[in-house]
Amino acid sequence: MPGQRLDSTSMARRAAQEIRAGAAVAIGSGLPTALPGVVPAGSGVWFLSENGAIGFRPSAEGLFVDSSGNPAEVIPGGAVVGVADLAAMLAGGNVGLALVEAGQVSAAGDFVHWTTAETPGLSAPGFAVDMASGARRVVAIMRHTSDDGAQRILEHCDLPIDGNRCVSLIVTDVAAIRVTDGGLELAEVAPGWTSDDIAAITAAPLSVASDLSEMTFAVPDLSWPNKVYDSASQALGDVPDGAIVNVDGFGGPGGMAHYLMTALRDHGAQGLTIISNTAGIARVARFGAPEGVTPIDHTILVDNGQVAKAIASYPVSPSINRPSAFERAYQEGESDLEVSPQGTLAERLRSGGAGVAAFYTPTAAGTLLGEGKELREIDGRPYVLEQRILADFCIIRGHKADTLGNMVYKGTSRNFNPVMATSARVTVVEVDEIVEPGELDPEEIVTPGVFVNRIVKRPAEFSPYLEI
Amino acid sequence: MSTASGANLNKVYSDAPSALTDLSDGASLLIAGFAGHGEPEDLLGAVITSGVRGLTVISQGAGAPGSGGTDLNRLVDAGAVRKLISPLPFNPHQGGAIRERWEGGELELEVQPAGVLTERIRAGGAGIGGFFLPSGAGTRFAEGREIRQFNGREHIFQPALKADFALLRAAFSDTLGNLVYAGTRRNLNPIMAMAAKVSIVEVDEIREPGGLDPELVITPAIFVQRIVLTKNRHHSV
Repeated sequence: MPGQRLDSTSMARRAAQEIRAGAAVAIGSGLPTALPGVVPAGSGVWFLSENGAIGFRPSAEGLFVDSSGNPAEVIPGGAVVGVADLAAMLAGGNVGLALVEAGQVSAAGDFVHWTTAETPGLSAPGFAVDMASGARRVVAIMRHTSDDGAQRILEHCDLPIDGNRCVSLIVTDVAAIRVTDGGLELAEVAPGWTSDDIAAITAAPLSVASDLSEMTFAVPDLSWPNKVYDSASQALGDVPDGAIVNVDGFGGPGGMAHYLMTALRDHGAQGLTIISNTAGIARVARFGAPEGVTPIDHTILVDNGQVAKAIASYPVSPSINRPSAFERAYQEGESDLEVSPQGTLAERLRSGGAGVAAFYTPTAAGTLLGEGKELREIDGRPYVLEQRILADFCIIRGHKADTLGNMVYKGTSRNFNPVMATSARVTVVEVDEIVEPGELDPEEIVTPGVFVNRIVKRPAEFSPYLEI
Repeated sequence: MSTASGANLNKVYSDAPSALTDLSDGASLLIAGFAGHGEPEDLLGAVITSGVRGLTVISQGAGAPGSGGTDLNRLVDAGAVRKLISPLPFNPHQGGAIRERWEGGELELEVQPAGVLTERIRAGGAGIGGFFLPSGAGTRFAEGREIRQFNGREHIFQPALKADFALLRAAFSDTLGNLVYAGTRRNLNPIMAMAAKVSIVEVDEIREPGGLDPELVITPAIFVQRIVLTKNRHHSV
């Protein structure tokens, strides 16, 4: 007689061992909703609820609900977003781990959501399908067999699948099974169970790992990784030649990441593609800069010969008599240029962050900027296909950040920053003030820390101007 | 509040029924809320009493049946809904009007992954015609759909989704319709507000313009046409 079957708490404790410190972890409905309750308060993880809480834990007093409708509260260092932002976070690849309750899993890692298994002809997957496609890693939690003894771990699922080749680990009430290129591999057994016991209730070929062990239920200590860097130079030390870089700024000197821009210039990476609304207009227009100084803007990168290409909506000077540095570089063949309408540029950045590869917009159809692009008629109107922008790095300015990277802006300095932060692999922010988690109201956070990788404090004495 | 132009800028309606007089049979409705939490209950009640039929409703999901509030279950139970588009139409562990009417062939259900549905609504609100997203590729949600390869991966074409009306629930509004939400009750409100021809919001408190910090406004008034002060304040905070 094998051992007992594990309860949902023990399964959650085993699954919690898959969490990496600092990760955003998507919690699907059903068994995964036990996870936030087994991880100690203060742990370095953001559990995501399907209705827009970034970082929650169970609380009878909470104003929030989890994916199964249980009351919850936002943790210090958490944030509240709309569901569309949550969807973007998931599809955009910012979620390190997703936990779904499966009704079936195949040898190839396909899964059928528990609701599909319980309601033939229908399902209620919520975000489970999006998790399967968007999360960097998917762990299925499930009861190994159904209440009536039916097999649920199968060579091929016999119900319509909700996730395609996405599950990498199955945690059941009797075992932990890895999904490998060579099929299913039994890694751990629950106390009192043997590999033969498990094989007898598994309807797919099951190899036994050479390191087969008994399941353990200790929840790991998870500390928030440090994101705060001592200086802008340290935070940008690994920008390679040829990198694509989102750079904030909207005309005037306010709200530009001058400190990071200066460090990028000093770092000297060559052949950069700059994504920005402008490519150095503050220098030309001056925007009220005092006599004897000039605003720091993208020009310092152009003048330093670092910019191979700009994608911008407003790359040239408003005055033909005062060409921008970028304009000159373009005319002399030193830099390439792609002009994107401003709204399209913002939407392309948002797409990059939201996992959208391309979209149809009516903007610029029938104009020069629509030429050479695929056209499609939608509701009787021509639309052009525009491609996402996804950068390697992003340098933006915020007002305040907590040490986890949750950020608020001030005034027009918000501009492109929230979308730019989502559409880069490494987002580096400079802020006027760094505070502890919990000091920012979760409702007021505009950019959740999930999107922010590195934080530097802009020195109070740092000047946005250069002497001329 | 002064209206220098003399134009009728009044968006504040005396109650939910008066904000819904032009709702007609067959209309499409975006309804905010998450599984029985944060629904615009007065507005849903007014839809029920109006007696309209044949609605297409787009919602993130229904809560437990019989939970006491005026929710999606009641709207369906009243026979107002012809079709429901949702990632969570009902909980398989629970019965209720939605399941019964679906099984009886009186209600059409279209299940969509939650992220796909929200992205479609957002696209509708942002003037996007459609987009390519990998979510659901290789599953039943890809069947019969236009598939295209981008960046070495299968993507599914998703058309934008818009509706005639959006029924929203916020904590605060000013008289112009700038909105602030409370907690996860924000849910789908911001994108639904953008994607409807007429967005109607039920709020706990209406303030004068300037009574909300502009930095904290989530839904700008441009997206909101009508405002109703809730009679269900005790449910909302």
